[in-house]
Formats: sequence, C-alpha cells, structure tokens
Amino acid sequence: MSVPKGYAGNIAIIDLTSQEAQVIPADQFFKDYDIDPRLWVGGDGFITKILWKDIPEAIDPLGPENEIIIATGPWTATAAPQAGRAMLGCISPETGGFSSGSFGWYFPAAVKYAGFDVTIIRGKAEKPVYIFMDNKEITIRDATNIWGKETGETVKLIREDVEERFEGEVRVLSISIAGENLVRYAVACGDATSCPGRSGGGTVMGSKNLKAIAVRGNGEIQIDDPQGLLDSSYVAVNKFIEEEPTLKIWKEHGSTTSLSATANWPLTGTRLAENRDAADFPKLNNAGCLNCFAPCYHWLQIKEGPYAGLRQLGGHMTFLTVGLRNIGIQDFDKWVYFERLIQELGLDPASFTMAFSYAVDLFVNGIITTEDTDGLTLSRGDEELIWEVTRKTAYREGKLGNMLADGVAEMAKKLGPEAEAIMPQTVKDKPSIQRDAKLQALIWSFGALTSPRGGDWLRLHNVWELAFLPESRDTYPEFIGMTCLELYERCLELLDMPDDLKKRIFGDPPKINANWVRGIEGKALFAKWSEDFVALFDTLVTCMFGAATQFMMVGFGPSTYAEILNKITGWDVTYDELMKVGERVFNLERLYNYRIKGWDVKDDRFAGKLAYEEGTIGIYRGKVVPWDIILQEYYALRGWTPEGLPTKEKMTELKLDSILDEVKLPD
Amino acid sequence: MEEKAIVFDPSLCTGCMRCMTTCSTYNFGATSLSKSRIHIMRHEGHAITRMDEEDELIFEALACRQCDKPYCMYFCPTRAIKKYEETGALSINYDKCIGCRMCIVGCPFGAIRYNTDKKQPFKCELCEGDPQCVKFCPTGALEFVSKDLVHIPKLDFIARKVVELRPGAAEEVPAGEEKNVSA
Repeated sequence: MSVPKGYAGNIAIIDLTSQEAQVIPADQFFKDYDIDPRLWVGGDGFITKILWKDIPEAIDPLGPENEIIIATGPWTATAAPQAGRAMLGCISPETGGFSSGSFGWYFPAAVKYAGFDVTIIRGKAEKPVYIFMDNKEITIRDATNIWGKETGETVKLIREDVEERFEGEVRVLSISIAGENLVRYAVACGDATSCPGRSGGGTVMGSKNLKAIAVRGNGEIQIDDPQGLLDSSYVAVNKFIEEEPTLKIWKEHGSTTSLSATANWPLTGTRLAENRDAADFPKLNNAGCLNCFAPCYHWLQIKEGPYAGLRQLGGHMTFLTVGLRNIGIQDFDKWVYFERLIQELGLDPASFTMAFSYAVDLFVNGIITTEDTDGLTLSRGDEELIWEVTRKTAYREGKLGNMLADGVAEMAKKLGPEAEAIMPQTVKDKPSIQRDAKLQALIWSFGALTSPRGGDWLRLHNVWELAFLPESRDTYPEFIGMTCLELYERCLELLDMPDDLKKRIFGDPPKINANWVRGIEGKALFAKWSEDFVALFDTLVTCMFGAATQFMMVGFGPSTYAEILNKITGWDVTYDELMKVGERVFNLERLYNYRIKGWDVKDDRFAGKLAYEEGTIGIYRGKVVPWDIILQEYYALRGWTPEGLPTKEKMTELKLDSILDEVKLPD
Repeated sequence: MEEKAIVFDPSLCTGCMRCMTTCSTYNFGATSLSKSRIHIMRHEGHAITRMDEEDELIFEALACRQCDKPYCMYFCPTRAIKKYEETGALSINYDKCIGCRMCIVGCPFGAIRYNTDKKQPFKCELCEGDPQCVKFCPTGALEFVSKDLVHIPKLDFIARKVVELRPGAAEEVPAGEEKNVSA
C-alpha cells in the first residue's frame, strides 16, 4: 500500500525494556496493522487499530504491556488551519479500557516534522529515562537527575541537555510529580502547556519510568496540491472570521468565553470583570497552536496581589470551570495559580477536582473524618487548603493524598455503599467534569454515558444546548450583537449538515427554541452525529475549538474537512465518507472496550444515585432525566442492539468485516 | 510602483506560525518550518520560568528586509542577486548561484537561510509582490505597507506606552473600552 501525501512516512517503535528503537516505513506499518489510511485516517483511528492488535485482552494498565501511542494525522503540521494537534493513546489507568487525549502546542508538529506519523512506546525502563527523537535518530537517555522535577523545570533541563540551538526548536512532552507517583489520573504535558488531559497517559509514562519525550523536527510534509491547500485554507478561515458571531468575544476571552454557559457565570458579572482586569486578560496576546485562527490560550501575567508576577500560558476553560464549580475557587488570579500548579504537578484538573469535591462531600456527611484527612478540615473555596491538598495528592502524601490519588471510583469502592450513593457524575470508573449530570444540558451529559474513554464529556462535545440554556441565553447573545432567536437561526443556517438530518434533529422546518432545548426530541440523533464528528476531527487530527457545534457556533464542518484533506492527500473524500470514518472509529472503540472489558448497556450508567434523582435547579428542576429512554433511542440510531453493541450488518457497513472473527458478539 | 515592506506588530502575534507554514507551502511546495523564508523568533517562557524569574514574552518576525543597500548583493561573487524594480524584492538567480553562502555572511539580520539538500541559499522574495505570510496571518500582525509607513506599528506601540505611563492613567478607564472592561 502506498503512503499518501500528507503523511510523514515513518513509524517509531520504541521498546523501553530492551532499550531499542525501530523506525519502520509507514506502508509496512499499514500492512502490519491492517490499516487502510483512507478508512482510518490517523489519530484515534490509528490508536484504536494499534490497541486492537497489540493489546487484545484486559491488562494491568500500569504493567509493561501497556503502550503509549502518539498518533498524528494527515492534517497535522501542514498548512491547513489548526494543524498543531495529535492524539496520545493508551489503556486508561482509571477505567482499564480504551483511552486517548488530544493535545497541541508544538510537540505534535515537531514529531511529524521529525518524520513520524505514529510513535509507539512499549515495555518498561529499569531506571528513569527520557527519549530524544533528533529527527529520525532516536536515543534513550538517562533521566535520573530530572526525575522529581516539576513540568516547567523538566522542559528547561531537557532542552539544555539536548543542546537546543534556538528557543522552541526542541519540543518536550513530559510527566511530572503526579505521573512519577502513579496518581491514577496523571497527565503528560507538552512544553508545560498543552496536555492530552484526560488520557491518563502521564500515569502510564510514569509506570514505564519514562520521564519525557523530546523531539527536534526539521523536515517537511509533502502536500498533494500545495496551492490548492493554501487556497482552500484561506477561504475556510476567512469565511469563519467573517461569519462566526462569537469570534470577537472569543479572541478576548479564549475558551473562557463559555464560562457563562458552563459555569452559569454571566460574562457581564462585575466580579468576573474585575478579576479579568486584574489579570490584564483581554489586553494580552492570544496564544495559538500551529496555524490557529481562534486561539483559546492567553499569555497571562498577574499584576497585583499575592500572586503578582505569576506568568502562565493558559486561562483555559476546563481549569476555570472545575476550579469554580468543584472546589470553589472564586478569583481569577487564584484560578491562574491553580492552573499553573496543576500543570506543574501534572494532574488532570477534572479528575482531581472531582476527587477533591467528593472528599468534601464525604467529609461533610461524616463518611470520612479528620482521621482520614491527616487532620485537615475539608471545605471548598479555601485556596491555601486546596494548594496543600493538590500537592499532597501529586506526591501521594499521607492518607488523604493517597486516597485522592486513587480517584473517585476507588474511593467509593473502599468506603462502601453509603459513599457510593453520593458519588459525583462518574461512568465506567471515570469522573466527568462536574458533580451533577442534570445541571447541564442533556447532550453534553449524555456524552459521558457513551464516551469510549469513560465518564467524559469531550467525545460528545456539543455546546448548542448549553449556549441556549435559560441562564445563559440572555447574556451570551448580547455580547455578539444578536438576539437569542437570531443566533439560533444563524447557527442552524450555517451548520454543515444535510437538510434532511437537520429536519430530523430540529424539526420540520428546523427550529431551535426553548422547547427544543428542554426536550429530548432529536437529541439522540444529534448526539450520534456529534460523536461521529468529534471522532472525525480526532482522526485528522485537528482542534475542537474550530469545529462546528463546539465552543464557537459556526466552525468547520465535514465539508470543509473533506475539501482541505483532499488537497493534502490527493483523495476525493466526501462529507459522507468522512462522517463514516468518524462512525467507524467510534464503533471500533466501542467494540474494543467490549472485547477487553465486556462493556455494554449495563456499563452505560452513571454511578451512584445523583443522576437518577429529581433535579433541584436548572432545567431539570423537579424532573428526572430519562437517560435510559434516550440511550435506547441512541442505540437504535447507531444500528446497535439493545445491549449497546454493533450488529453484524453495521460492522459490514462500516467495513469492519475483517475483525468479525476477533470479537465474540452475543447472539 | 510604490515600494512596500513587510512590518510586524508583536502585540498582535499569537505565535501560531501560520506565516511560516504558508511560506514553505507556497514557495517550497511542502509544509515545513525549517524551509520558511520568514522566521518567528520566540521566547515563550510563560509556562516554564519560575515566578521570581524576570521574563517577558517575545516575538519577532525575521524575513529579508529587501535593503536599499543590500549587502547580500554586494557580497555575492557571481552577481546572482538582483533587485526587481516592480516588487522591490531582492531575488536569487539559481543559475548563477554557487552556494558559497557569502550572502548569508553579508546579511546583517540572518534573514537568508541555507537549504542543505539543494545546496542553495533561500530568502524572502515577496511572493511576486503579494506576500503570502501577510495574506494568511490570522491576526493582522504582519502587514505589507508602503515604506514610508513602516514605522507606524512601533509608533503606535510607543504611543500606547506613553498613555499608560502618564500620571493618573492607572485609575482611568480608557475611552471606548468600557464595554471591554465590563466583559
């Protein structure tokens, strides 16, 4: 099989046990792993195929047989918009099933310029090491004196050690204290900035004694139609800049734009304004990954107060949302400090704050006492306490640190049914971003039920309901110069989706109004479409922040992806073909989890009772969310059985015939 | 024709390097940062330096200045570099170039790079008068302006600094920014 343009052309396979690195040509890799690049594209597509072959049954996620897979796609490192992303995959230490996470900044581009589409790391080193990929020359180096260092220091030391010739030449993906101490939700962090956050990759790297991967990439990526690629990218980005109603506010506030939606904190709130002003937020430069036209980061610096002088490349939505909602951090400068602290220690902010929040609930309910917390009185909103507990967790210090480091699911298991009953939103042993699934819109929370990596919202990431919720609809459109109804209409008009599908989701004629937001009509189908769409851009690999139905309202849809991808690769893929790629990858992830973990309908459930009780606030006040009804409707739309597994017909339709013999489906 | 030059406003740059990927794709036919004729030098210590360390975010765009007294041209022993009057661009004639890299020695800015595969120097030649880096910059940090206006971004920056440093300025809300502040 020939390798299309747009791919770097090589795969690195590094065995830490034998300390050997192999570089194999991509066509050989495609043959070995039964990959047709047009069917699987890259990113999550490759990761799932690799896991399917290499790890065919359940393993100890912290054992040497687990793998770290860094997969770029044909989109990565080209002149296409938002080309700075890659996926990091492994078996999740939290769930034991499939896991992957998207990350950016410049490591993904560097690894592709070095010549690698995919890097697979196996085995376990005897002592701490880091990997240096100097273009195609791969060495495994001693990391004894870097072990124990926090993220920023690690990046600096490694850049010195490999003699970086100009700043930014060498890019470093590293773990920190949390990964070394095998906190279950440790992250790897790219250049101390962008992390494949919810993958658990940091823990797996820690279990392999792998401190970091450093890359110097000076090569180039061949393009099928360079001028065509530039023309299409130019048109797509300019269309976006002209038509996207939220772009101005997005540029000022990055991904915290959605704070009003996700944290019920109106953007007009004076407190937030004062906080942002203190951090000089809207006036500082945005910070973008490769070719980004809608940057979500800011270069921040705190001007006044106890954290004066603190610099941070961030201001990211997840940190702010979990900081506010789960642990009650109220001030902007403290959010920024919290973000920096979490990145320096290498923790997943969602899983950590959910564990912390859960511990507070357990403490308040008397299920744990000061005996379990090393004498600390747990509460939300006390920043000194939060910083202390964060450090304790990363270092697995004391009873409290060890308890939180094991995460929500393990805590519940150890503490018994009383604790299990009040578990925050958790599916397949992995917590989501917030305590109560009913607080947010339906599709957003529903995504946690069906996500292949456990209770996580990012695989069905769709903010359309969120933006239109009663509590945000009055403030959000005000900032973009449109009424709520005008915004609804504009979004519907611009959404890159065939008309018949729009009618099935939004009614005939398609219409979004308060009833649609509150109801369940069309939601299962919108959920399925969104999941396939997310799986698609995770295979390309490109960023969710430029994609339709993500934080910005218009965004790129499959048509734009198809046009640009064709210019890169020389293919002639269509909208439908690309959506099938997404569906294929999503189905294989589902099958993979069934194959190694047996997950089916019985596991598509929130732990505890909270999600199944009547809501107390928001649109589900006094109502029970009909999770199981939507779930069955969703299965049917996916072509799955009521047990939640793909039928043989579905597998044939998705060209998954070749693996029919390798997984035993119930009759 | 009016002589124009590329100017760069670091306060608008996000560091996304789209200028570089565009340049290499347009001029080299493949995407690469190392084959770009424009280079964004960066210091991005924000996430890496400690709180007590002095640090500042730095971006600077380096591309050929298309000098009016071009040392690269004077240093070239084979007269391979020529100034094109229509665009104002200094261009390398590869039929004459011998790969001696004296142009790189002559250039005071390090704006000429060397392609070790082709054994040729390469530099910004203003894309036939329509610099693609400027066209593709998503924030407007790069502009292609008449040479008598190249000082404006810097002047603008200094003017804003002066306003900020004015006594009592810290307590004032700048005119027209009320909306931003309340955001």
